[in-house]
Amino acid sequence: MGEAKKKDGVEIVGFACSFCTFKASEMAGSLRMKYPEGVKLVQVPCSSRVDPAFVIKAIFEGADGVFVAGCHPGDCHFIKGNYYTRRKIAALKEMFDAFSMKEKLRLFWVSAAEARRFVEKVTDMHNELKERKNEREKA
Amino acid sequence: MKTGIFICHCGHNIKHTIDVKKVSEYFKKFPSVTVSEDYPFVCSEPGQDMIRDSIEKQGLDRVIIASCTPSLHGEMFKDLLKKSGLNPFLLRRVSIREHCSWVGDDVEANTEKAKRLILAGLYSAAHYVPLEEKLVDVTKSALIIGGGVSGLSAAAFLSKMGMQVYLVEKEAELGGHVRTLKNIWPARKEGKSIVDEMVNELSGRKNVEIFTSTTISAFEGFFGNYQVTLNTPEGEKKLTAGGVIASIGFSPFDPGIKPELNYGKDERIITTLDFEKNGDAIKLPGKPRIAILHCVGSRDEQIGKPYCSRVCCINALRVAEAVKDKYKDSYVESFYMDVRAHPRGGEEYFEDTQEKGVLFTRANVAEISPTPAGIVIRGEDTLFSETFEREFDLVVLSIGMSPPIDNKLIASLLKITLDKDKFFLEAHIKLRPFDTAVKGIFIAGSCSGPKDVEESINHGRASAVKLFGFLNLGYAYVDPFISYVDPKRCSGCRMCEQACVAKAIKYDETKRVVHVEEAACMGCGLCNATCPSSAIGLKGYIDCMIDDEISAFLEAI
Amino acid sequence: MKGRKLKKGDIESALNEFLKGDQHLVLGFEKGENGVSPKIFKGSLDHYSLLNPVFGANAALYLRRLFSKGCQVMLMLRPCEIRAYVELQKLTQIEREDIIAVSIDCPGTISSKDKKGDVPTEADQLTDYFKSSDSMRWACSVCGERRGVVGDAGVRIDRNGNFWVIPYTEKGETLLARMEGESEEVPAEMLIGESKKADKFQVDMETFDKDFEKCTMCMNCRDMCPVCYCIDCVFHGDEYIPKGDALINKILRSGSTKMPQGKELFHLIRMYHVSQTCVGCGACEEACPQGIPLTKYFKGISERLQGMFAYMSGRSFDEAIPYLTFLEDELKDAED
Repeated sequence: MGEAKKKDGVEIVGFACSFCTFKASEMAGSLRMKYPEGVKLVQVPCSSRVDPAFVIKAIFEGADGVFVAGCHPGDCHFIKGNYYTRRKIAALKEMFDAFSMKEKLRLFWVSAAEARRFVEKVTDMHNELKERKNEREKA
Repeated sequence: MKTGIFICHCGHNIKHTIDVKKVSEYFKKFPSVTVSEDYPFVCSEPGQDMIRDSIEKQGLDRVIIASCTPSLHGEMFKDLLKKSGLNPFLLRRVSIREHCSWVGDDVEANTEKAKRLILAGLYSAAHYVPLEEKLVDVTKSALIIGGGVSGLSAAAFLSKMGMQVYLVEKEAELGGHVRTLKNIWPARKEGKSIVDEMVNELSGRKNVEIFTSTTISAFEGFFGNYQVTLNTPEGEKKLTAGGVIASIGFSPFDPGIKPELNYGKDERIITTLDFEKNGDAIKLPGKPRIAILHCVGSRDEQIGKPYCSRVCCINALRVAEAVKDKYKDSYVESFYMDVRAHPRGGEEYFEDTQEKGVLFTRANVAEISPTPAGIVIRGEDTLFSETFEREFDLVVLSIGMSPPIDNKLIASLLKITLDKDKFFLEAHIKLRPFDTAVKGIFIAGSCSGPKDVEESINHGRASAVKLFGFLNLGYAYVDPFISYVDPKRCSGCRMCEQACVAKAIKYDETKRVVHVEEAACMGCGLCNATCPSSAIGLKGYIDCMIDDEISAFLEAI
Repeated sequence: MKGRKLKKGDIESALNEFLKGDQHLVLGFEKGENGVSPKIFKGSLDHYSLLNPVFGANAALYLRRLFSKGCQVMLMLRPCEIRAYVELQKLTQIEREDIIAVSIDCPGTISSKDKKGDVPTEADQLTDYFKSSDSMRWACSVCGERRGVVGDAGVRIDRNGNFWVIPYTEKGETLLARMEGESEEVPAEMLIGESKKADKFQVDMETFDKDFEKCTMCMNCRDMCPVCYCIDCVFHGDEYIPKGDALINKILRSGSTKMPQGKELFHLIRMYHVSQTCVGCGACEEACPQGIPLTKYFKGISERLQGMFAYMSGRSFDEAIPYLTFLEDELKDAED
C-alpha cells in the first residue's frame, strides 16, 4: 500500500447515479478539481438501484464511509426512483444511528451540473471521517 | 476466463499522475488476465488495432479498457468489439482519467486507486454475459419546443429531410425575440424578415404541423416513442414523437432586479430591447447626451449571473451607431468592463464605432439617478481610478440574457438537467454539445446558454442533423440493461410490482411469480434493490457485480 | 365502538358452528396434557383454549403460501400472530379472501424453553401470575400491541372477565352473525390496556459484537421468523456469505478470517429486510439455540424505522409497506 494511503487511510465507497452524480463527477474530473483518492465510485443507473445491503456490505468489509448520491428529488431520470431511494436510505441511516454509526452513511443529491457541489460533499465527508479516525487512534 | 486489460496513457493526461507501467504489470499476475498492456492512446487507430489483434489472436472473452470516462468513446469501443467478433457487452470501461488521474496529484496514491478501480472492473466483468441490444421501433417524427429562430431552423431542416415535424410555440406568433429586432448586425436585416423567410419555407410543407399559443401538459415514454400531450387553443392534442428538440430561447434580463439603476422609474432609462422597439419614437434634443451601460445582468456575481451574455456588447454598439448616425453632434458614452465583440467582424465593428466618435469609458457604474435636468450617472473610472458624475438625456442599459422562464417546467417534463446558470445542460460541453443526458432529446439555441441569431440558427440546424441521424433508420438499438426475473427464486411478494415506476412488472396469478414486460422496463434497477432475495435482477448491474466492485475497493491488495 | 358481550363458552359454540361448514378450519390453541399448543381444528373443537400462555413460534409462519380457494380458515390467534398474517397478506404470501383473522387479547407469554405445568390459561389468572413472577418473555414485556385490536375482529376481555367480540371489517361482522345477542357499546377500560411506548433503541457495534459472539450462523432465527418469507434467501448464495470455493477465494484475496464470518452482514441485512414488517414477536429469539437477545435488536430497529413513516406492521390491511411508496415532500432531514 502506498505511503499516501498510510497517511490518510479513509476509504469511502460512493454510489453515483449515471444521470446526475456520475456526470457531475465526470465534470469534476474534466475541470481538474481535486478530491481525496479514498473516494471511489460505483456507477449505478439510478440511485434507486442501491440495495441497502450494498451499503451494509461496504461498511463491514472495511469502508469508513458510504454515500448514496443521485439526482435532486423531482429530477430523477427514471421519474420517481430517487423518492424510493430517499425512503430506503433514510431508513438505513436511522438504523445506522441506532447502532451509533450514523456518520458512516450519507445521502445527497448532486445534479449533472454540480461538479463543485460533488467535490465539496465528498471532501467534507472525507474530512469528517478522517477527523473521527484520528481521534479514535489517539484514544 | 481470458481477460484483456488495456490501460491508456491518454498521452500525458493519465500517465502524468499514474504509474501506468506499474498498473499493467500488477494485473499480469492474475490467472484470469491474459493480456495486460498500457498504450499511449488506446482510442487511436493503432491502439484499436492492438485490442482487436489481442481479441482475435489470444481469444479474449473479456475486455477492460481503463481510460477516459465511459460516456466518451463508448460506441466506438463497442463497435471495436463487434468488429473483433466479441459481444460488445463483454467490454468494461474503467475511468482512470476523470475519476483518478485528473482529480489527484499524488502519483503513488493515484496508482493505487487506479489499480483498485481496474480491479473492480475485472471482478465485475467476470460476471458479464453476452447481451443482445434491444431493437426498438422509432417514430420518424420530431417535436420542436419553441418557435424562435433555432426551432424554426431545426424544423426547416428536418421537414426538408421528410421527417414529420411538430412545432410548438407558447406565443401566438412564431419568431421569438428575433421578430422584434430591427436592424440585425451584421446582416443589417429586419428580424421580422428573417423570421418570415424561415416561416415561409415551412408553410408549404405537408409534414409540418405548427401549434401556436400551445403548451405541453404531459410528456412520457422513451426514446423513439415519446407520448406528448399538447394544450392547444382547440383543446388537448396527443401525439407521438421519436425525438425532441428543446429550443425555448431566453428571457431578457430584467434590470428592475438592480434598484440602483432606477429602471422603470423614468422613461429616459431604457433597455437595448426598448430602444430596439421604440428607438425611433424617442424625442431627444438636437445635441443629445446618451449613455450606454454594458453588462447589465451579465458578469455579475452578486445577482447570480456570472456569465457573459455574448450579444450585449454588439447590441450596445448598434445603439451607439444608430444614435450617432441620426444625431451627428450627439455625445455618446459607453460604460464598459471590457468589450467582448464576439462574432466575426465584431472587433472591426467596435473600431468603426469608436471612429464615429463614441466614447468608451471603462467604469464601474454605482448609481443612475433621474433628475429633472437629466439622468445623472455616478461611478468610478477604473482606468484612471477616479470617480465621476455626468448628466445624460438618455441612458440605455445593454441587458443580457437570462434563462428562459419555463426552464424548470420544461426540464422537469423532459427530465433534462439545468446547468449552474439555469440554462439547459448539454451532455458534454465539447463532444456532445447538442445532446442532453436523455437519449433522443436535444437542445438548440439560447436556452442552452446565450447565443446570437447566427449561432442560434446554426445550433438549431446542428441539433436537427443529430436528431435526424437518430430517427432516420426508423429503428434504434437500446442498451439491453433491463430487469429479468428468476422465477425459481421469486416468492411472488409483488413488492417490485408495487414499486416499479414504469409499471413494467406483472404478476402471474397461477404461477405466483412476477415477470418483466421488457418493452416497458426503463432499467433503473429499483426492483432489484427492492427484492429481498434479489430474484429480480437488472442486467449489467446485478448484485454480484456491484458486491464484487465493493470488495475490490476494500479488500487488502 | 360496538361489540358483543359473551360468556366464555359462547365463543366455542360459535366456532363449532363455523366448523360445521364444508372445508372450514380453525387455527387456534389446544389445551393438552403437557400444556397449551397451536392446533388446526377440523370438524369440531377439542380441548380448545382461547389463550396460549406459551410462545414457541409465531403461528403466522404456518400460513405462508396459503392460497387455497374454497377452504374457509378462522384464525384465533395472538395479536402478534395476526399482525404477521396481515403483513404476509400484503406481501401476497397468504390469500386473504377465505380467512377470517381474529386477534385475542394477550396477557403475555412465557418461553417454550421454560415450559411449566403450573401456568394458568385464564386471562385474569394469567395477568396475576405475571404480576407475581418474572417469567414473562422479554418480547411480551415490551410488546407494542397486546390488545386484540388487529385483523378482521378482536376478542377483548373486560375488567370483570367478560368476553367481547368486536368486528373491525365486514368479515368480522360475519363472525358476529354466528353469535346470539345484540351489539352494545364496548367498555372503554379493558383488562389489557394500551402498551407503554418503548424507549428509542440505541446500541453500538461493540455491544452487538458481544451479544452475537455466540452466534453460529445456524439461521434458525430467519427460518422461524414469520415475515422472513423468501423462498430463496439471499444468504443462500455466495454474495454475502461465501462458502466453499468462493470462501477460499475470498480468504486468498483478503487474508485470514475468523469463522463463522459475515455475522454483521447476515443480521443487519436481515434486520433491514424485515424492518417494516417485523411485529416484534420474538420468534427469532425463541428459535435461537445460543440465547442471543435478538428481539432487542430486531424489535428495536423495526420500531425506529417504522416510526419514521408513522407505520406499524400489521396494524391495518390498507397501509402500504413504507419502502413501496413515498411522498414527494418528506424526509427533508435525510439529505446531508
